[in-house]
Amino acid sequence: MNTFLLTIASPDGNAFDEQAATLTLRGVEGELAVMAGHVPFVTSVKAGDCTVELPDGTERVGYADGGILSVGKDRVTLLAGSFRWKE
Amino acid sequence: MGADIKSLRTRIRSVDSTLHLTKAMGLVASSKIRRANDAMLKGRDYASAVTETVKVLTACPDCAKSPYMQQRDGGRVKLIVIAGDRGMAGGYNANVFRLVRELPEAEIVPIGKRACERYGEEIRSSETYSYGQARELAEQLCLEFEEGRFDRLGIVSTEYVSMMTQNARVDWVLPLKKAEDVPTRQVVFEPDEITILNDAVPEYVAGLLMAALRESFACEVAARRMAMDSAGKNAQQMIDELQLAYNRARQGAITQEITEIVAGSGM
Repeated sequence: MNTFLLTIASPDGNAFDEQAATLTLRGVEGELAVMAGHVPFVTSVKAGDCTVELPDGTERVGYADGGILSVGKDRVTLLAGSFRWKE
Repeated sequence: MGADIKSLRTRIRSVDSTLHLTKAMGLVASSKIRRANDAMLKGRDYASAVTETVKVLTACPDCAKSPYMQQRDGGRVKLIVIAGDRGMAGGYNANVFRLVRELPEAEIVPIGKRACERYGEEIRSSETYSYGQARELAEQLCLEFEEGRFDRLGIVSTEYVSMMTQNARVDWVLPLKKAEDVPTRQVVFEPDEITILNDAVPEYVAGLLMAALRESFACEVAARRMAMDSAGKNAQQMIDELQLAYNRARQGAITQEITEIVAGSGM
């Protein structure tokens, strides 16, 4: 499976800064998922759960307190006011 | 002679207690250095990520209409001034205040007890300032900027170069400048770029403020350690000199006493 570099940045440091397979979260216009090769894209993110699928298939779920998602050519950045892993 | 010895002894004792104090302050500062540096790096990561995103947004032609991109000619400046909660950190606070003096017209929002005392505002600690507070302040300032109550927003903080070197500096935050070299043609925005930009700006200001606060705190701790090191060295040197004078005076008194006894015995 193709992967992309995902950075989840919050003021308390980067909660995640590794390769990921998919990222699912709630955008302003509904739920959306990002995979490798997505077109460049910027959107506001609503507060809610945010699921990251790692390259080995395991899933990690976290809670983002709103923010901005920006999808670039080879990296994806989620800027969150606060971010917490649920596990 | 006796009085001289006594006053020397008192002075040695007082310098010694100063030495203890500087040692303790130095140790406290050293224990905070690592944590402060870690926090500074995290703050920098976030600030650079948020700056990168805002840069893409400012490069879009539509965003030129955003209130945050309007370059106004009025000279009303607002400055967030970040200083320490206490002194004994060498020139740390003084350097910040000197820089602020160069902009005498500016309206000031102080953070840090020293700055609050100086500019007469309610006390806000710079050491325990949280992201929530930063976000609140950023939202309020953004609203004021939108309403046109000031024309430029800057953050006066201290830049961490190394343990030995820290420089006070001003970062201009608002209005935003258009980024030139970012390609935005193929980027899809949802709902649209100007809404995202207007949402992102308070986050951006708060992120920069938080990064500046943490960097300043790292500087404060480093400056305090260096200041306490040199104060400790000076105190030790002073004690050595006083001890020498004390020993001389004591020896002088003994010699005099022996001379008097010998003279009195009539030998």
